[in-house]
Amino acid sequence: MVNQRSTLFGALLALVLLLSACGASSPTAPAAQAPGTAAPAGAAPVTLRVLVHQNPPMVEFMEQFNQRFQATYPNVKVDMTVVNANELSTVTQTRLTANDVDVIDIFGFSNQAQPYMKNVTPPNWQTLIEAGLLLDLTDQPFVKNYDPAAIADAGTYNGKVYQVNLGRVSYSGIYYNKDLFAANNVAVPTTWSELVAACATFKAAGIECMTAGGKDGWPIFVGAYGLIGAMYPDQAGLVEGLWTGSIAWNDAKALDMWSKMQIYARDMMERGASGIAGDAAPGRFASGAVAMFPGGTWYASAIEAAEPDFEWGYIPFPGSDNPDENKYLFGKYDQGWAIAANTPNKEAALAYLAAFSDPANYQAFINAVGFIPTQPGATLDTRIGAAVAPYLANFRVGYEQYWVAPKGAGEYANPYASYFQPFGTYNDVQTLADKVQADLQSGLDANQ
Amino acid sequence: MNNYHFGRGWARLAPYLLLLPGFLFYLVIMLGPAIATGFYSFTDASGIQGAKVNWIGLENYREFLFMGQASRDNYAALVRTLIFCFFVTTIQFSLGLLLALLVNQRLRGVNIFRTIFFMPVILGAVIQGLIWSLFLYPLGGPLATILGLFGIRSEFLGGQPAEAMAWVIFVQIWANLGITMMIFIAGLQTIPGDLYESARIDGATGWQAFRNVTWPLLTPSVNTNLLLNIIGSLQAWQLFLVLIGYRNGTQVLGYLIFAQGFGQTSGSVTSAFRQGYAAAASIVLFFLVLVIGLPVQYFLQQRERRILG
Repeated sequence: MVNQRSTLFGALLALVLLLSACGASSPTAPAAQAPGTAAPAGAAPVTLRVLVHQNPPMVEFMEQFNQRFQATYPNVKVDMTVVNANELSTVTQTRLTANDVDVIDIFGFSNQAQPYMKNVTPPNWQTLIEAGLLLDLTDQPFVKNYDPAAIADAGTYNGKVYQVNLGRVSYSGIYYNKDLFAANNVAVPTTWSELVAACATFKAAGIECMTAGGKDGWPIFVGAYGLIGAMYPDQAGLVEGLWTGSIAWNDAKALDMWSKMQIYARDMMERGASGIAGDAAPGRFASGAVAMFPGGTWYASAIEAAEPDFEWGYIPFPGSDNPDENKYLFGKYDQGWAIAANTPNKEAALAYLAAFSDPANYQAFINAVGFIPTQPGATLDTRIGAAVAPYLANFRVGYEQYWVAPKGAGEYANPYASYFQPFGTYNDVQTLADKVQADLQSGLDANQ
Repeated sequence: MNNYHFGRGWARLAPYLLLLPGFLFYLVIMLGPAIATGFYSFTDASGIQGAKVNWIGLENYREFLFMGQASRDNYAALVRTLIFCFFVTTIQFSLGLLLALLVNQRLRGVNIFRTIFFMPVILGAVIQGLIWSLFLYPLGGPLATILGLFGIRSEFLGGQPAEAMAWVIFVQIWANLGITMMIFIAGLQTIPGDLYESARIDGATGWQAFRNVTWPLLTPSVNTNLLLNIIGSLQAWQLFLVLIGYRNGTQVLGYLIFAQGFGQTSGSVTSAFRQGYAAAASIVLFFLVLVIGLPVQYFLQQRERRILG
């Protein structure tokens, strides 16, 4: 009997202990700063949680900035997390939901549904704002440090500012190795035919023509976005044309584009590029193993870090045989800062953005990462800055920032060079063009 | 006579009380999310806290199963999932059994081999993926160097979808073979040695001893391994993420669900999260596992009853 009682008692005790452990008192929430206080210096200790995406020169700069910020605000400890760019939106969403982040690195607002688009899902940033998860920054003094056009284009939704965007990048240019060009008597190409001839010369000399960080997937097809730009300079118009049917991915103009993309994937890109990690590609280019590297302006710092004495240049992708059509740089608004609306550390987070937005600091940031500035007073006094300066008047937001796929569209409904062999399955231009258009049309028809 | 171990009266509740924490844990961790997934599959939930969630009925299912080329791509992913399941299950099961038979011998150093064969299991998907990404690096990786001697070049994981799939099947088997082997070893060690001795006295060959003693008495391990391999391979997605990423012609349903739920379906970093749609895809996968798993389990139970009584 005693055993039975002790068994029951033991079971009850274990259950009570377990349940009480499960329902333990919630951890003490960090004391919220009183709104309106000027700065958290001298206030209660604060751990400011910052989330950024992996970009080595930017991360290095941020680590130094964090130290300076902590020296200015001794009560604030910055806890910065770095994630791969592909995972940024996922981690942002989970940490915002868990109220586990204060300052967020967020890409410039894009891919918004247009009036001619039917039945599309809003982009992630729009959902975050509509869910009330991003803080309204409209009245913050530091917003005025930035170019109003950049704030309007990349950080504003429904008349309110939710992001200060830190810079534009071009993704439609090509880095080239000046020494290899000189040694092989190759002139910098200004037309598609010259580019093809340059690659043929390098191949004949046993030098690979181009490389890309294909392991991350997107660098191979993004490298050819300049080709699309050369053929369709009005990228917003291209997207509208595809949606409304005035442009097709298998019309005569598009077939020309696909033919060039096949040459790009099959003959220009080095074999094995699909195995190169995105952040290793600049190093491979800087090593002199390849003559050219189609990629974004954000790679410039990594190339310089890999080989400081390496001589390189940067040109728009010459996708057309008419040099006038090769004068555009296409790109996007890159990194920006937003603040979690529910942050208990609002004052510290605002102080962080204010300190970052200080013109002197911002200039140092631009020098480190090579973004095309979004503060009017800042200049891109770097090699990449000098290289893109002649084309800045022709900078345009690219196709990827406008495109939203209709629901029901197939997986090939994109202008990706990586569909061609050896990276994909296709080796016939017409077959691929028909497949891409059919996949797109299927989605358009499904939403009629 | 009281045959009930825990006694009479209130004491009879003891086993239920002991089970309760586990049941509550199951309810919160397993059953709750499963029910929530079913609910969300009828909504346009993005998974973002505070975002408006609308009840859209069967729209997600209509889109997943019947809407445009995307639905046909989903069926292709479903077929790929079945192919992946077939190859992983058959090869992993057979190799696991073979290795278990080998390392169950009384040989010197056999424990070292058991450890080596089991080691990949403890590494985790990220490390497993990293190891094989380096091994299959197409620019001077070990395999590329060897193949290069014969004039063969390949992009391996970044090239033809069929080849990339084959490599994921290989790595999945390599990564989980140790578990299959250990379950078989556990089963082999429950078979009394007397039976083999009797068989030998009766003149049985090695194959006859395996067929008439080992195989029937391994039935519980066979059943466990088959079900674990089938269900595990139908739900696989991590290695696809680590080794290939989202590439046309390589997605299986498990990865498709992850990619749709967390906006990984395009090169754009601003892709929308579609967790309602991903939930509907999860329910489809659940039924696929159910349709395959239940008959297999029934068949295996019948076989076990027939053999072991």
